[in-house]
Amino acid sequence: MSSLSRPQRIWKHLRREWQLYLMLLPTVIWLLVFLYKPMYGLQVAFKDYSIFRGVAGSPWIGFEHFQVLFGNDQFIRALKNTVIISFYSLLIGFPMPILLALMFNEVLNQKFKKSAQTIVYLPHFISSVIIAGIVITAFSPSAGIVNTVIGWFGMDPIYFLTKPEWFRPIFIGTGIWQEAGFQSIVYLAAIAGVSPTLYESAVIDGASRWQMMWKITVPAILPTIIIMLIIRIGNILEVSFEMIILLYQPATYETADVVNTFIFRQGIQAGQYDFAAAAGLFNAVVAFVLVITANSLSRRYSRVSLW
Amino acid sequence: MKRITPLLAAMFGSSLLGVTAHAQDEYRIVDEPLELTIQMNHARYPVYDEEWPVEKEASALTGISLKNDTVGANMRTDENSGKTEALNLMLASGNIPDIVGSSRLKDFVNQYGPEGAFVPLNDLIEEHAPNIKAFLDERPEVRSAISAADGNMYYIPYLPDGKYGRAYFIRYDWLDTLGLDMPETVEEVEEVLRAFKTQDPNGNGEADEVPYFARQWPELIRLVTLWDGRSSGSDTYHDFYVDDGEIKHPYAGEGYRDGISNLARWYEEGLVDAEVFTRGSSAREYLLSENLGGMTHDWFASTSGYNRLSDSIEGFSFKAFAPPASVSGKRIEEHRRIPIKPDGWAIGHTNEHPVETIKYFDFYFTEKGRRLANFGAEGVQYDMIDGEPVFKDEVLNSDQPVNAQLWGVGAQLQARGFFQDYNYEKQWSNEFALEGIALYDEGDYLIDQFLGVAFTADEQKIYDRYWPSIRDYMLERQQGWILGNGDVMADWDDYMETINDMGLDDVLAVMNSAYKRQYD
Repeated sequence: MSSLSRPQRIWKHLRREWQLYLMLLPTVIWLLVFLYKPMYGLQVAFKDYSIFRGVAGSPWIGFEHFQVLFGNDQFIRALKNTVIISFYSLLIGFPMPILLALMFNEVLNQKFKKSAQTIVYLPHFISSVIIAGIVITAFSPSAGIVNTVIGWFGMDPIYFLTKPEWFRPIFIGTGIWQEAGFQSIVYLAAIAGVSPTLYESAVIDGASRWQMMWKITVPAILPTIIIMLIIRIGNILEVSFEMIILLYQPATYETADVVNTFIFRQGIQAGQYDFAAAAGLFNAVVAFVLVITANSLSRRYSRVSLW
Repeated sequence: MKRITPLLAAMFGSSLLGVTAHAQDEYRIVDEPLELTIQMNHARYPVYDEEWPVEKEASALTGISLKNDTVGANMRTDENSGKTEALNLMLASGNIPDIVGSSRLKDFVNQYGPEGAFVPLNDLIEEHAPNIKAFLDERPEVRSAISAADGNMYYIPYLPDGKYGRAYFIRYDWLDTLGLDMPETVEEVEEVLRAFKTQDPNGNGEADEVPYFARQWPELIRLVTLWDGRSSGSDTYHDFYVDDGEIKHPYAGEGYRDGISNLARWYEEGLVDAEVFTRGSSAREYLLSENLGGMTHDWFASTSGYNRLSDSIEGFSFKAFAPPASVSGKRIEEHRRIPIKPDGWAIGHTNEHPVETIKYFDFYFTEKGRRLANFGAEGVQYDMIDGEPVFKDEVLNSDQPVNAQLWGVGAQLQARGFFQDYNYEKQWSNEFALEGIALYDEGDYLIDQFLGVAFTADEQKIYDRYWPSIRDYMLERQQGWILGNGDVMADWDDYMETINDMGLDDVLAVMNSAYKRQYD
């Protein structure tokens, strides 16, 4: 071994493992083209950008866009809404797929299990536009099923989608309904990876199903749960904004307007790409800090981490 | 076949007009055929087609043919949100074709023209485009409206003809059923709507009628004109308006405040569709065909078309009525077709034939070119009868609407600078629409429009910094008041203070300085 020089060793390694590197290649190219190359354009956040002059030709203006951004009360409100909506989505939405996966795991009738899984996966494959249409119809004050049910109890219909106080529950609930099933796949896969010998010995020791779930299944998938949690925390500012755009109204901006919808309205629609880039860059920096923090906390306390 | 078509078209043209072959040369711009590239994005018919009969005939007459070089051909430029992604994409690609035609072009060329992306047209028009020049001399407001902040014109606009857009519509048969007179004032409108709500005009025994409805919720806000407020100064919602030579915003006026206060009351009482904010574009179709809707404010032509429902709903008659008198007795119709659209075409800075290009643009302002752009090809879409173009029967009686047929042959394109001819539309307008238009013509209810301003870079910066937030805040409060979250009368002083703190004065200052530079 020691007779080989370093480049020779690398070459030998590559020769031996070339299939693995070949499989890695498409992802690396994808990352470079779609995520690293565009970073060059991030500089427009500090420029007075004109599409005609181009990224390089536009003059620098320093932090002006950021000053405007933080001087804007609506941006501050959007930031607050983003954090609140994300926090509740995380609090309520994060455990849902885990619970679903645990429940599916306990179902014995394969036919029932398959059909139940299909039903909960299904909403994930429906376009947001259609989901929004379903939500608007369901919560409509004249024909919606929700108000019909409310009417049975003798209550007046509520125009849910124009009430700021109702926006977040509806939005978060819709998100859970749409995604919880599909997200449970990751956990089901983790559960499938638990060695059956553990359960067999537990049965011999007289453990109940409940005990097996809490003492074997949950600890076994805990690393997966924590990795998913760290990723979720990194995406905390990435509320699914197309859904918000489809569901919100000026009347509900107060609770519904998030950073991405704010960027969309004020930046993209108004053609202020430099301003939108500044807001987007801010988003990315916050997400970066959150991931680093969550990861290091997790490494310290649970010894599970992304890196 | 392809070779014959232009020749055939030219022959049709000459034989029916009875002119000599020599006169055909009067439209010829170049001796040798010249090819120019074009980017075309359109709100309605997005994909440019070199084979459009209109293009074929234009190139046969002028010698110039256009080659499609469109980036983002599948992207529509949206009229209301002002989206111009396709144009941005084209600019970002670094290749500007010889001609750029699009809807929502104005702000784009007025921003990038002064930076050098588009050719200023003033001198070219002066020297090489006699027909455009004559048109601009006759209508100087067009020249003002399309000019950029540096005083140059960078695009030739699409100029709609015909004044009328939206009107007040009501169920005439419901008025008869309930024995009511046509409402003439805002108070009478309120009584009628209340009667619609409570006296069961559709006769099904349920109070399920929706007295006032709208496909676009800002059409509810339009009703503030009945309390002497304003909702917009142009055909775009929430736009500024001109009051006595000064630009103001409608949502900062006292008439608006009073109007919103009353509309909130109407809403609470159920005189306005409870779902007006979320029902969306299908509101008219649904509420009329279910025999539920009583009154709206919508387009003459398409709304009149619903009278076909009299086949299934007995007595159904949904027709225009004159704008009711406001609290001070004024009758106005705030909406009209804007005479100058921000749509049209421009010359890219890399175009090596700007003179030929402006002559080509000028061709569409000749009588023959204008007819081509409006009616399509002679002998195919229309015939000349008594010196007037008249659509052929198969065009008028087709399953497809006439305008959609015309887009399909390259006529009536918003992405082309031309002067529309209202006669094109009149020929296929519904009789009820024409009746309504006659009613509005008689009363002369239309008011002047705000035709937009072009900012300098510094003005643009102020506007971009403050306006989107103020607008959001205004709409948020507006909907809130209507829905009963807060009382406009009590909140008004705070509201005015907030929008001033948010920079409304600065926005109005740049609007006014741009306006004075452009129109005075």
